[in-house]
Amino acid sequence: MTVLRRAAAPLAGVAAGVVLLLASRGLGDVAAPGQLSPAFWPRLVLAGLALACLVKAVQEARASAVRAAVGPPPLARGRLTAAIAAVVLYVLATPWLGFPLANTLFIAGFMVLCGARGPVVVGLNAVGGTVALLYVFVKLVYLPLPKGAGLFEDLTIGLLRALRIF
Amino acid sequence: MGEILAGLAVGFANALQPLNLLMIVSGLVIGIVAGALPGITMLNAIVLVLPFTYFMGIVPALLLMIGVYCGGVFGGSITGILFNIPGDPMNVPTTWEGYRLNRKGETRYALGLAIMSSAFGGLVSALFLAFLAPPFAKFALTFSTVEFFSIVVFGLASVSVLGQHSMAAALISLCAGMFIGTIGTEAQYGVERFTFGVPFLRTGVDFVTVLIGLFAIGEVLDQVAGTAEPAPENPDARAVPRLPLLELWPLRWPLVRGTLVGIGVGGLAGAGATVSSFVSYGLEKQLSKEPELFGTGHAGGLVASESSVNGSTGGAMIHLLTLGIPGSAATAVMMGAFLVHGIQPGPLLFTKQPEQVYTNFAGMILVNVLMIALGFLAAMSFATLMKVPAPILNTFIVVLCFLGAFALRNDLADVWLTMLFGVLGFYMRRWALPIPPLIMGVILGPLAEGYFLTSMVAEANDLTVFVRRPVSAVVLAMSVGLVAWAMVKSARARRLAPAEPAG
Repeated sequence: MTVLRRAAAPLAGVAAGVVLLLASRGLGDVAAPGQLSPAFWPRLVLAGLALACLVKAVQEARASAVRAAVGPPPLARGRLTAAIAAVVLYVLATPWLGFPLANTLFIAGFMVLCGARGPVVVGLNAVGGTVALLYVFVKLVYLPLPKGAGLFEDLTIGLLRALRIF
Repeated sequence: MGEILAGLAVGFANALQPLNLLMIVSGLVIGIVAGALPGITMLNAIVLVLPFTYFMGIVPALLLMIGVYCGGVFGGSITGILFNIPGDPMNVPTTWEGYRLNRKGETRYALGLAIMSSAFGGLVSALFLAFLAPPFAKFALTFSTVEFFSIVVFGLASVSVLGQHSMAAALISLCAGMFIGTIGTEAQYGVERFTFGVPFLRTGVDFVTVLIGLFAIGEVLDQVAGTAEPAPENPDARAVPRLPLLELWPLRWPLVRGTLVGIGVGGLAGAGATVSSFVSYGLEKQLSKEPELFGTGHAGGLVASESSVNGSTGGAMIHLLTLGIPGSAATAVMMGAFLVHGIQPGPLLFTKQPEQVYTNFAGMILVNVLMIALGFLAAMSFATLMKVPAPILNTFIVVLCFLGAFALRNDLADVWLTMLFGVLGFYMRRWALPIPPLIMGVILGPLAEGYFLTSMVAEANDLTVFVRRPVSAVVLAMSVGLVAWAMVKSARARRLAPAEPAG
């Protein structure tokens, strides 16, 4: 890795610290005379963050060639991207599809992504797991999980009634 | 002394009545299970059982709540050790060491240590409560926000020890965590800080979203990306926890120190189990002959933090019973139970209803003895989950994190934050930025700010107050010494080691 590449992340931290320090302008206006303002503590913290990042950048830049050659371990980039995408889709879809349907689809999809192959195992876990979670979190803990929108809301309510949860 | 022993005898006779014993066992089970589930804290569990106590007498009601309280502070360690998901912030230091022991195939040992040290800390603190509550409460009441600030600073300073391979990396993490802790509406002036117009940020970033995101989701992403440590080779041997009675002897000093820190810090109104677990862990690392092994599965670190967590329970009860002042949120709910039954906790309770007081003491002692058996059974049940294949386990961990985050405020925004912190956790591991300091910054940062600003208002911005008050001066001097020592270690480590692993 080049010196610049190694120092890029800490330098980005310095920049973020400075930008946030600038964003704290105006916070101090409300302070009573002789009192510390609400900006005091975050500014102290952000200055510390910027300083620590600067020290880290200098350390990275001065790191020996041997140490610099040791990069992070290789990763399965495709699987990681798919996993993050699956999680994002899960959270995005839940308000629309409702928790039961979104959760069933997520469990099935994520299990396959993690390496599960048997359709019976995947199906049983997806459906059985969702039903069990509905009983625990909706019936016992009264957690108002998202029911979905439009047609999916009717579907969720129908399912909860069929399971005698609702 | 004779009076106390006689009182305890009456208390045990009361607490051992079948209904009361049933309440203790029920409370312990509820507490352990609730504490183990991410998103459902020990405090949630105490609040949830409060309405049920309206229909009981005061003795079974309080014994139920004491059971939930002591079980709850222990429960979070089980999932922390098994799945890297601490049930509560107070279980985070236990997770740092316990999960590493688990990954080395020492799951049974880690669970056994957690059970035994938790029970030991709780038992000693219950005995301390029974014999020394009144004088200790008087001493603890002399502490002000100045001392609390110094104690929290000591907890934060221990971060420099945690990130010993790179002080700069640890400080980046710590400051980032402390910054996250400043997001939201500021308490003194009601000003919004760094919310950038996003409505859900007005109430701040809940530390539970940070906790379960960085630890659990980050770990799952690590597994999916194939960058996690390999699983232990002997998974079948791990299901039943081992109770390492004899193996506790070499760990007796971390155990004793953790318990004393738990009682001491737990006894300070407003400090509580979370601060005591971090302080105890940091202190242990400072005193250890092998500090470099902390964070890699060090039994001493686990024992110190776990004994201090349950050691704080007796300390927190001191104020409630002797002065009628709740020392923590959990004891505040318990005070509600007292008041519902028409009893005012405080000094008069000892003279007017000594039987009630000693029944509580006896209840706490019994709870901690029973915790060995019930903790063992609970750990065994949760440990069987370790046999579940990784694809199923990882998937359900993500789903439970979703539910835990959603349960905080019934808001999907918290789920988004959790997932965001999960991705951040993955990249922090990858780029050797230690995670524990960030967690400590989020949890202890707002406490430090609150104590500091209150002290400054009270002392007209005179910073010398922190060194003028003896307790504060000693604790701050210890913090400075800790940081200086860590800086020297860090400089040496940088010269010797080519690269360091992430926390």
